[in-house]
Amino acid sequence: MGEIFVVVEHRQGEIREITYEMFWKADELCETLSCSLTAVLFCADRGPFVDEIRTRADRVIVVEDEQLGHYSGDLCREILVRLIEQRSPVMTLLGHTAWGMDLGPALAVRTGFPLAADCLDVLVEDGRPKAIRQIYTGKIFSKVSFAESAGYLFTMRAGAFPQDRAGERQGEVMDLEMPTDLPEERRQFVEYVDTGAGDVDITQADFLVSIGRGISEEDNIGTMKALADSMGGVLACSRPVVDKNWLPKYHQVGTSGKSVKPKVYLALGISGAFQHVAGIGGAGTVIAVNKDKKAPIFRVADYGVVDDLFKIVDALKEKIGG
Amino acid sequence: MPFVHPAVDTYLGLSGYVYGWVIFVISLSLFGFVIYQRYQILDAAQPDPRFSSVVRRVRDLITYGFIQKRQPRYLWAGVLHLMIFWGFIVLGLRSVDLVMQGLGLPLLRPVMDGGFGRVYGILKDAFELIVLFACIWAILRRALVRPDRYEGSHKGEAHLVLGLISFLMITDMVYEGSGLLMVKESGAWLPASRTAAFFLREASVQTLATIHNLSYWLHILTFFFFLNFLPLGKHFHIITALPNIFFKKLTKGSIKPARWGVENIEDVETLGIEKFEDFTWKQMLDFFTCTECGRCSDMCPANAVGRPLSPKMITLKLRDYGYERYPVFGTSRKTNEKNKNARIVGDVITPEEIWSCTTCGACEEECPVFIEYIDKIIDMRRHLIETSRNPKTFNQVLMHFEKTGNPFGKPAAKRADWVRELGDVPVRILEEGDEVDVLFFVDSFGSYDPAVQAIASNIARGLQMAGVDFGILGPLEVDSGHQVRRMGEEGLFQFLVETNVETFKNIRFNRIVTTDPHAFNTLQKDYPITYEVQHYVPFFLSLLESGRLKPSKPVEQDIYTYHDPCYLGRHNDIYDAPRRLLRSLPGLKLVEMDRSRDRSFCCGGGDIILWHEIEQEEMRMAAKRITMAGEAGANTIVTACPFCMIHFEDAIKTGGLEKEMRVVDLMALFLSTL
Amino acid sequence: MKIAVCVKRVPLTQEVDLEIDAGGKDVRKGMLAYVINEWDNYAIEEAVLLKENFEGDVTAVTIGGEDDEEVLRRCLAMGADRAIRVDPGTLELDALALSRILSEVIKGLHCDLILTGVQADDMNEGSVGIMLAEHLGLAHAAVVTGVEPEATGATVRVELEGGMDEVTKVSFPAVLSIQTGINEPRYVSIMGVRKAAKKELKVVKVEDLGLTDADLSMKTMVEEIFLPPETEGAQILEGDPGTVADEILRIIKEKGVDV
Repeated sequence: MGEIFVVVEHRQGEIREITYEMFWKADELCETLSCSLTAVLFCADRGPFVDEIRTRADRVIVVEDEQLGHYSGDLCREILVRLIEQRSPVMTLLGHTAWGMDLGPALAVRTGFPLAADCLDVLVEDGRPKAIRQIYTGKIFSKVSFAESAGYLFTMRAGAFPQDRAGERQGEVMDLEMPTDLPEERRQFVEYVDTGAGDVDITQADFLVSIGRGISEEDNIGTMKALADSMGGVLACSRPVVDKNWLPKYHQVGTSGKSVKPKVYLALGISGAFQHVAGIGGAGTVIAVNKDKKAPIFRVADYGVVDDLFKIVDALKEKIGG
Repeated sequence: MPFVHPAVDTYLGLSGYVYGWVIFVISLSLFGFVIYQRYQILDAAQPDPRFSSVVRRVRDLITYGFIQKRQPRYLWAGVLHLMIFWGFIVLGLRSVDLVMQGLGLPLLRPVMDGGFGRVYGILKDAFELIVLFACIWAILRRALVRPDRYEGSHKGEAHLVLGLISFLMITDMVYEGSGLLMVKESGAWLPASRTAAFFLREASVQTLATIHNLSYWLHILTFFFFLNFLPLGKHFHIITALPNIFFKKLTKGSIKPARWGVENIEDVETLGIEKFEDFTWKQMLDFFTCTECGRCSDMCPANAVGRPLSPKMITLKLRDYGYERYPVFGTSRKTNEKNKNARIVGDVITPEEIWSCTTCGACEEECPVFIEYIDKIIDMRRHLIETSRNPKTFNQVLMHFEKTGNPFGKPAAKRADWVRELGDVPVRILEEGDEVDVLFFVDSFGSYDPAVQAIASNIARGLQMAGVDFGILGPLEVDSGHQVRRMGEEGLFQFLVETNVETFKNIRFNRIVTTDPHAFNTLQKDYPITYEVQHYVPFFLSLLESGRLKPSKPVEQDIYTYHDPCYLGRHNDIYDAPRRLLRSLPGLKLVEMDRSRDRSFCCGGGDIILWHEIEQEEMRMAAKRITMAGEAGANTIVTACPFCMIHFEDAIKTGGLEKEMRVVDLMALFLSTL
Repeated sequence: MKIAVCVKRVPLTQEVDLEIDAGGKDVRKGMLAYVINEWDNYAIEEAVLLKENFEGDVTAVTIGGEDDEEVLRRCLAMGADRAIRVDPGTLELDALALSRILSEVIKGLHCDLILTGVQADDMNEGSVGIMLAEHLGLAHAAVVTGVEPEATGATVRVELEGGMDEVTKVSFPAVLSIQTGINEPRYVSIMGVRKAAKKELKVVKVEDLGLTDADLSMKTMVEEIFLPPETEGAQILEGDPGTVADEILRIIKEKGVDV
């Protein structure tokens, strides 16, 4: 029976959510392709992870070694290449994360398998695997197909799949000895630095007023902050605002920022790039204001206003103030 | 003279003439040397063609140099200066005469001994008193009133020179007065000399003779000292002001090319001002000529709102730097390590000063000696752009201008989409080979910014109502480049110009009418075209005056005031057309702000301010201007420029002044009456 | 330090309504303006900064036609010392083939550091950089947000998800894919770009690189592209700002937030 690999991503003792999303999708694919689900776990201590992973996979291949406590580009790549060569999984799923983006392409070159990156979906059509991706910064969807191959590699978009299907499997744990003939590590972990710490924890707020590129000028930050304050909300933002140094990073919502789950998320002048949208998956109600009626944010928002955000902000100020 | 002339007398065995000649030769040699040293600065500078239109230059020299038309804009200072200036003109002859006497060259005798001499004597005396009076008043005024605009100027030098001039007057008065007493001459009416004589009436003949000689030589020495002192400070303007006015810029509002005399911008070694010698000789002459009066900074709107810009200080800093780099005495510090590679912007002038300017032209309009600022500032910006030292916010905007022909990055193909909203007004989108009467140049904001699209739409409506045959270029149009040039991206500006000019060539039209004054200014002044270009206001005024449009409906009952936009008013002297247009609207009550017409206070600008915040600002220019409108008694500001409108609307919103003031575009107002 | 930077010229699509072309596999490009890929802009700026601060030599490389030389000239104007354009002729190439070509061109340069942008504005894959590293057998790190060179490598900051950065040491020679925000790319004026025309820009043809068909064959192909499905999306609130504001406040209160 064929196998589908899901490479587990974890950090500082916790399994990353993307892993559960991949399990969800792999479940589906395993059924379609009549494959078994194999989780691949590299770690220094299997303790925090293995019991939970066993419920999501048919087998868990564990490589436990102190050198694997943190992501190691060289070691993970080498071990995975050997594993793939050994077991020939039909598909290998990795998260499209900083680490996944470091690993996936390298695996593609070494294994010769085609790679589809940042996939929104993986499907099988006419017996052939295909992937759905976004191009032109989210404006267009693309379906990719592959040259015939023994295996296929996919890096998966965070937030593309749900993660709440409870695991019902009973995976067997397979220990794999840490190979002793691996080359020297050329990338070595030093430490983690939390850039998200700050005065304000947007992940705890009930109501976020989030601003994006549409606010145009740094000078308008003051107005937005005042609005957030007057509405009893917390100010948040998308990446461009932080890139321009208009707000500190701890206000940033999105893949490289924080994931938030407020009751209401008011997005002002945010286009809705997926990296940002990925951070608001947990929001209760999303209200978006953007003067471009085709802005991607309107696809994910619950309510939308197609208008100049400043006009709406003024109107809100008036209604609250007066 | 019926008594012994001081030069005829002997001192220490030598004839006075010897002393006269010694003083004369040494002083003139020294003076010549200093002037030659100063000339080195002009020689090292870049070319600047200032010899065209001689008739006009002479005319302006008379108006502004001799009649000093700009001086009384600051009334008392102006009047005082006029007195002193005309004193210098009149007394010049007297000084030359006195010097000639000391040299034993009786060249002026025929003139001075005859009838003319008698009349001149009275004139000279009258002016000596006037000048003395003016100097004393000026000294008192400086000491008591202490105008703000003198901050940063060499106030000590001002007092010194006023003192020297007073001393020159007094020594001549005493010389003449003592002379009169010795000769017992009482016929001629010589008020100055008589006054001096009055104070000396008790003196003995011996004393009078001594005083007579002493005052003469003191006068001569002071005169030559003063002459040599001039090139060393702000009073160099006494020599350079008239030439500076003669060589003034004839085309207000235009920007100089990257380098005069170089056709192809690519052949220019360094773009903009990197080192001191990159300035042109006329710009150097400007540095020499600054009188430190501070009127420029006093009128500068950026200065008024707390930005780091003081035009006067830019001139003075550069002048002082130049004088240090080319010292009169001592080795040329041009090769001094510290100075050698000094970057003008960065080491002498700060970038913040340069980016604070809105190019409104108030400084240039005010300067009595016609010092130019805008070209220098743009030249400095050019260098900042070339060396990537511009505000980062420009990067994306300039990239958009280059790639899409507008600052928003919106597709060029959509440039005429605004026309679709105008259901009832068919707007012709011109193509190659078309023929039309009026080419309506909409420009980028009119095409893409909703607030300004409204103005463009109103213009289109007005044109249609008047039955004008007009068309727009639509996607063929790229930005006029007005802002791009004034941001300092000269290469990109040339690219935009080339693109538009190519398009113009392929269409036949009689005139261009623009939405905004900035496009109007740049098409007329910066483009190598000869088509007639008009802003919509004068064009619609002509339609009104020819009867093609008749305002009949009354305007809303408000008190209106008209804000002169910098690029319609100051830079193009169009003040009356908009007022005539407004006055023809039924029921319109118009009041004038204090600072109106060529003293209009910039709204914030239609260039850099759109993409760059100046941190040090205490208040927005627009907010300040709205206060002025309120003070004039108005509750509605009428604008003829979309950027003014945007700034005022913004300021009203931020200040919560919706109940006190509103803004209306002139075209919208006009249309409402048709 | 010898540095190579891989750059790409991409269409400017932010304010544009994209339309799918007749072939169904790409968008209509006739009316589009082209610029340097935003990530690559940060990469070339980083390379030039490293050169300015640590003494170095920068080569900019792109795969493309004559039109693509524009971005190379930009890189030269920013401070690169030379540029190489690899002409692909009529070949259709995926990330794997592109990276193979790049590796062939760059291996002869003996670089200490090779920089690419994390991904391209058009295809958004983020694969070429790391594939290039693997073809060359070099150390690599993706999504880099800080580079501090040391003796035999660099201390590199990687931007992880959720506001965390990873500090890691990467030994030279290495390939790093650069994330936006790492620096502030300088402006280069039109004149600056024209002046840079004096610097070396070499053109190399793919056919002259000695690569096999296998090297250049595509393993991943675009089968078709389509506009995002018109999902239900947001319920649009209509009306003037005042009405809309009222509605927004009502919704917020309804969802249990105290305004």
